[in-house]
Amino acid sequence: MAKTTIMLACAAGMSTSLLVTKMQAAAKKQGIEATIFAVPVSEAKKQTEEQTIDVILLGPQVRFMLDEFKETFGEKQIPVEVIPMGDYGMMNGENVLKLAQGLLK
Amino acid sequence: MDEKTLQAVMGLIMYGGDAKSCAMEALKAAKVGDFNAARAKLKQAKQELANAHNAQTEMLTNEAKGETVQMTLLTVHSQDHLMTGITFVDLAEELVELYEYIAQK
Repeated sequence: MAKTTIMLACAAGMSTSLLVTKMQAAAKKQGIEATIFAVPVSEAKKQTEEQTIDVILLGPQVRFMLDEFKETFGEKQIPVEVIPMGDYGMMNGENVLKLAQGLLK
Repeated sequence: MDEKTLQAVMGLIMYGGDAKSCAMEALKAAKVGDFNAARAKLKQAKQELANAHNAQTEMLTNEAKGETVQMTLLTVHSQDHLMTGITFVDLAEELVELYEYIAQK
């Protein structure tokens, strides 16, 4: 698979940035080439205008924004999904990476 | 930060954030006149707050025992999430009532 760009978004982009570190570690371990980063939800749109984003994952705490995100990024064909609470709470980078890859297929 | 503290902190972010998400969904339901769904979402929001409260209590209990939690920006951030969640749920309850009041007029 070509190099993919995964963007995580939550209220302040803070808790998701922790998960980013774990996902990067998981990607490295599996030999997956991916750019993974976190932003506050208010920054998400700007990012998609500046670079190509392949998949967007939302922190469970901003789940209520899923519809809005799907509407905004649906036209750009960027899949959006909410990270399950369990994986988020446990900071399970491996599972979340799997989720992102599943959305790309 | 040790794994146990991280999980407690993530618990606050997750449950506090989820409570806010539920409250937001309650408002969306109330807006279209679905007050049963709105009340169910508010109930769920309160349950999430109770979960967050438990995580919080554990941290406070540990501190009282002398096991001071390491203060980081993330721990402060988690309190932020919890407080936003509590405030938001309280306000959403009032607004759902208001929507219902208006709908009956």
